[in-house]
Amino acid sequence: MKKLYFILALSLSCFMISPSANAQTTDKTAVVKVTGEVANPLSITEADLQQYKQTIVIRKDRDGKDHTYSGVILSDILTKAGATMGNDLKGENLTKYLLVEASDGYQVVFALPELDKAYTDRAIILADTIDGKPLAPADGPFRVIVQDEKRPARCIKQVTTLKIVFAK
Amino acid sequence: MKYPHKKQSNYSKRSLRVISGIFALLFAIVALAFTNHKDSIPTGDYQFTYPANFGNRINIPADNPTTQQGVYLGRLLFYETRLSANNKLSCGSCHQQAKAFTDGLALSKGVDDSLSTRNSMSLANLLWARKFFWDGRATSLENQATFPLTNPHEMGQTIQASVNKLSQSNMYPGLFKVVYGDSSITGLRIVKAIAQFERTLISANSRYDQYLKNSYTPTPDELKGMELFNRGPDPEKNIRGANCAHCHGGPKTYMELFHNNGLDSLPADQGIAAITGLAGDKGRFKVPTLRNIALTAPYMHDGRFKTLDEVIDHYSEHIKQSASLSSFLQHESNEPGGTSLKLLPKEKKQLLAFLNMLTDSAFINNPRFSDPKLVSSLHQNKTPTQ
Repeated sequence: MKKLYFILALSLSCFMISPSANAQTTDKTAVVKVTGEVANPLSITEADLQQYKQTIVIRKDRDGKDHTYSGVILSDILTKAGATMGNDLKGENLTKYLLVEASDGYQVVFALPELDKAYTDRAIILADTIDGKPLAPADGPFRVIVQDEKRPARCIKQVTTLKIVFAK
Repeated sequence: MKYPHKKQSNYSKRSLRVISGIFALLFAIVALAFTNHKDSIPTGDYQFTYPANFGNRINIPADNPTTQQGVYLGRLLFYETRLSANNKLSCGSCHQQAKAFTDGLALSKGVDDSLSTRNSMSLANLLWARKFFWDGRATSLENQATFPLTNPHEMGQTIQASVNKLSQSNMYPGLFKVVYGDSSITGLRIVKAIAQFERTLISANSRYDQYLKNSYTPTPDELKGMELFNRGPDPEKNIRGANCAHCHGGPKTYMELFHNNGLDSLPADQGIAAITGLAGDKGRFKVPTLRNIALTAPYMHDGRFKTLDEVIDHYSEHIKQSASLSSFLQHESNEPGGTSLKLLPKEKKQLLAFLNMLTDSAFINNPRFSDPKLVSSLHQNKTPTQ
C-alpha cells in the first residue's frame, strides 16, 4: 500500500513539475548583439551594460510626460565593438549607418555622425531603466532613448540588434 | 488613273503577305505547342511590375534571380501533387488562389490526415517579405518551402522522394534543363523555382490601391473606416481611432512585425518564444498582410475567429492582458483609462467597409497565378509519367 501511495505521489509531482518545466522554455536572458562592420562583435546582457559609464536622459514618452531614463551612450558601445567612431569617422566611413532592430521586427536607422560626440552633443543611449526601475517587459529590457527628438518613433523598444552597415 | 490601281494592287499583295505571315506564325505557335513544350516556355529575366508606393525594398536572394522559365517551372511545382506522399496535396491545396492563397480552414489536413498546428497563411506580396511563417523562422521563401514539403503532417515526403518522382517523369528533367542549364533535379532547385513563382504573386489592384492612385472614390463608410484604421485613439483630445495602421500601415498593409495581440493571457502556442526562449516573445506571432483579408477567413494563427466582425470585436473589447502583450495594445482605447479600443457599432461597420476595400479581384483571378492543370494534363497525356 505504501508503495502505491509512493507511486501516486510521484506521478502527482510529475504533473506539478510539468508546468514549471514549460516555463523554463522562456527563461533565457535577453541580449543585444552588436554586429556588422565592427572589429569585435559583442553580445551585451543587462549585467554587461552596468560595466559601461551610465548616462541619464530625460525625455517625454507617448504619454506626454517627462521620464528619466538611464543607460549607456550608444557610441561607447559601438566604440567598444570596434566601429569606426571618433577619429575614424570620416571619409567613406561617413556612409555607414546603425540599423537598430527590435524583437517585434521594428527597425530604425541612425547615421553614425548622429551618434558621435565629435559631431553632436545630443545623447542617444541604450537605456535599461525608466524612473529608476527596470523597463516594463513590453518595452525592455533594452530601449534606445533619443534626447530631444520631437517624435518618439526612433526610441525603439525591446532592442535585440545593433548592426553597423555600409550604405550601398 | 492607273496609279491608284497600281497602288491598290500593291496593298493587296502586301496584305496577302501579312495575312499569310500571320497564318504561318499561328501555325508555328500551334505546332510548337503540340510538339515540344520546352520551346514554348518563356525565357529571360522576369520583370516585376508593382506600384512605386510599394517601394523597392524587395527580397530576392542573389543565388536565385527570377527568370520567366523559373517562374513557369515554379508554378507547375506549386500545383504539383507528386510533391506529396499520397500524390494528392500540392502547395496549392492549402494556398488556393480564390481564397487569396489560403484554404478557408482554421487548420489544414496533411497527408496523414492530421491537422497542421497553425493557420495557412495568405500568399501575396511576398517579394517584400524577409521573414516567413507565423513565427518568422524562415529567412527566405526557398527555406520556407522545405518545411511543408517534408513535414510528415503536411505534404509528408522527403526531398529525395520528391526528386525521385520528378526525375522519373518525362516532363520535369527537360524543364529543369531549361531553367538551370542541366536536367539534374535537386531539392534546392525545386524550392528555388517555387520561390520564384511565389515572388510573382503581387496584389496591387484593390479598391484601396485604386484610391491611392486617385482612380477610385471611396464611399463615406470606406473613407471613415480608413480614417479609423490609420488613426490612434486619443480620448483626451476627443480623437477616435482603431490604430490598425500601427502594424498594418502603408500601401502594402504589411510591415513585417511580430506581436502579442492579446489573444490569451496564457497562450497555448508560445509563438516566437518557442524558438528564442525569451519571456517577452510569448504569444508573439507575425502580423499578417491585410491584403484580401475579407477572403482569408478564419483569422489568427490558430484560425479562432471565423469572421472579420469577430476580429474587430477582439481588438475592440477582448484584449487579454499579460506581461508580453505588445506595448501599443496596452491602454490603447477610445475611452479614458480603457484597456481595449471600445469602438462604436457604427465604427466597426466603417472599419469593415475599409477592410473590404483591400480585396483584389484581379489578383485572385489572374490566370498567371492559377493552377496550370490544363497545360499540365496536356503534357502528361503526351508523356505519361506515373
